[in-house]
Amino acid sequence: MKKIFVLLSSLIFFSAGINAETLRILAESGDEATLTRATAQFEAANPGVTIDASYLGWDDFMATIKLKLADNNPPDLAHGNQGFTVDGTLVQNGLIISLEKYADQYGWKDLFADGALAEFMWSDDGSTWGSGSLFGISPVAEDVIVFYNKSKLNALGLSVPNSFEDFENALAVSKDAGELPIILGGADGWPIIHVWGIIDGAFVDPNHTRGWIFDPKNFEFNTPSRMDAAKKLADMAAAGYFGSDSLGVGYDDANAMFINGEGVFNLTGTWMTAQLDEGMGDNVGAFAMPTSGGKSVAGGGSFALGWHISSKASNPDLAAKFIAHLMSNDFVDDLMEVGRVPAQAPTISPTSNLQAEVIASSNALIGANAKTFYTDWATPGMYDVVTQELQKLIGGAASAEEFISAMAAESLN
Amino acid sequence: MSNKNIYRPQSKFQYSSYLYIFPAFVFYILFVLFPLGDTLYTSFTEWNGISEKKWVGLDQYIKNLSDKKITSSIKHSFILIIFYSFLPIIIGLLIAGLMIRVKIRGMATYRAILFLPQILSMIVVGISWRWIYAPKGPLNAGLDYLGLEDVSRAWLGSFDYSLIAVGLIGTWVMFGFTMILFIAGVQKIPSELYDAAKVDGAGAISEFFNVTLPNLRGEIIVALIFTVTLALRNFDLIYITTGGGPGTSTMIPSMFIYKKAFQMGQVGSASSLGIMLTLMIFTLVSIILITFREKK
Repeated sequence: MKKIFVLLSSLIFFSAGINAETLRILAESGDEATLTRATAQFEAANPGVTIDASYLGWDDFMATIKLKLADNNPPDLAHGNQGFTVDGTLVQNGLIISLEKYADQYGWKDLFADGALAEFMWSDDGSTWGSGSLFGISPVAEDVIVFYNKSKLNALGLSVPNSFEDFENALAVSKDAGELPIILGGADGWPIIHVWGIIDGAFVDPNHTRGWIFDPKNFEFNTPSRMDAAKKLADMAAAGYFGSDSLGVGYDDANAMFINGEGVFNLTGTWMTAQLDEGMGDNVGAFAMPTSGGKSVAGGGSFALGWHISSKASNPDLAAKFIAHLMSNDFVDDLMEVGRVPAQAPTISPTSNLQAEVIASSNALIGANAKTFYTDWATPGMYDVVTQELQKLIGGAASAEEFISAMAAESLN
Repeated sequence: MSNKNIYRPQSKFQYSSYLYIFPAFVFYILFVLFPLGDTLYTSFTEWNGISEKKWVGLDQYIKNLSDKKITSSIKHSFILIIFYSFLPIIIGLLIAGLMIRVKIRGMATYRAILFLPQILSMIVVGISWRWIYAPKGPLNAGLDYLGLEDVSRAWLGSFDYSLIAVGLIGTWVMFGFTMILFIAGVQKIPSELYDAAKVDGAGAISEFFNVTLPNLRGEIIVALIFTVTLALRNFDLIYITTGGGPGTSTMIPSMFIYKKAFQMGQVGSASSLGIMLTLMIFTLVSIILITFREKK
């Protein structure tokens, strides 16, 4: 009897031991609402699994993620950041594993058009980017589009621009009417990257821009069409379309000002959707920037930060299963409800007018294969160079030619 | 009574005295000397923070010195010395000099208020001044009220004025420190010296230059070393107010160290810049000490 008891209790103990697992996740804090939902669902569907998620704000996250994954006891699952600075270093040092096996198992590549996941693809030694094996994935799209103040646009007698020329006309009309045409938080530097992404996309073939970002040494930055884009941005700034104080205003302040009725247009990312929706309700709309003659659309953007599995993860299959939950069709609606823009087509109707217009803009960019990522991905030093040079361009401290040559020089670094 | 209880100085060296400094010394080695040595070694390598360090000799130093953005950031640091060091010392001396001649009621309260910036966290200072300097902030509102609309601008976003604007925040933070230091110094100057000066017919200005200033030599050296060091290694104020911008107009070496180490994964280059900055501070402090040393 005693033996049976010992046998039974040890059986129970070991079976519980096998099931009881903890998945440790380290995420950038923008995903907290998303993960809170996903965690509850995943734990309910997988008894015995506990998810231990921790979050860090953007700056802290980016400053420490490589060290955290190089630690002897790293998180099983973590965000990275597209480009050589973070993802490339993680691959080069063997800190994250290829997700190819799981991509096949869960059919992730079938969810998107060919090449759409290139930003997460690396050669196995991490030396080349944009092709090779899949090392990360995200269910969220982040696109750079144009938000606008509906009542202001109406009051100016304008409608949503159908071409880049229309947009320029709208800027001129706004300026003449004493409105601030574009609200811009240029003090932070990086918001100008988003403006540049849109203007650049209106002039330059998106394939060339993506090629340059993946391989800046071998794709010429200085092309005639890009020079046109730089000149256009300089002209827009000189015409006062960003106001005279944009370099003294931070990103958060600029968005608060936009919500409070300053500025006709706001060129920023779809991550602002929930906040603008809450602040402006039906008074805010969104569209993807049309190119010249309205032939196509233009915009920066990419997937959100990718999910990576640590090479030291005790149970990579479980980590992959959690990613699969995030990528699943069922989770798309949850993403919508927490205000994120899913990379896959949603099955429920949008929760607001703005969300409907944002998703339409996002779809237009995907449909035209027009998403050109972010300029700063190109080299480790590019973030500094592009933010500094764009501030100079907007502030009139550098010409379009100087901007282009500084960027071309950094491309070779 | 024998004299064996009478105290005699120990002729033998007491090794036990080392025990007293041992804990502090261990901390010093662990948290100052070891990191310094490690940084020095890293500065001769190429390292992204996680891979193997690759020895490159003096390459990082040569690259940093030939990077125009870095040399211009060093120039900015020297301009900041005017605002972080010279101006606060001049203002502090003026206030201390005034205090000798003029008795103001409630001086303790004024002193406390003037010293306040010194005890505030730089984060608080930075955020407050960002607001003061903002395009629609109180400074511009005041200028507009006075009819100076042409003068008002986005101070921290201006290529011409941002460095001066940031520098003046430093002046505001530091002058409370120099003032307290000099006021304390003035109080220990024997009043006979002032009486003698008065007998000799010295006016306020002559009294200041002949009595006050020479007697504050020690305090001035301390103030110089402290403020010059802060001007060169300052990071938080710039990080919060301008981030080095617009463009590179307020970039300083410590911003590059942060960016290289934590944003760009160039820890070797960041370390070499850190060593360069340390040497620069060391040299300047030595120059101050040599220049102001007591001439016998």
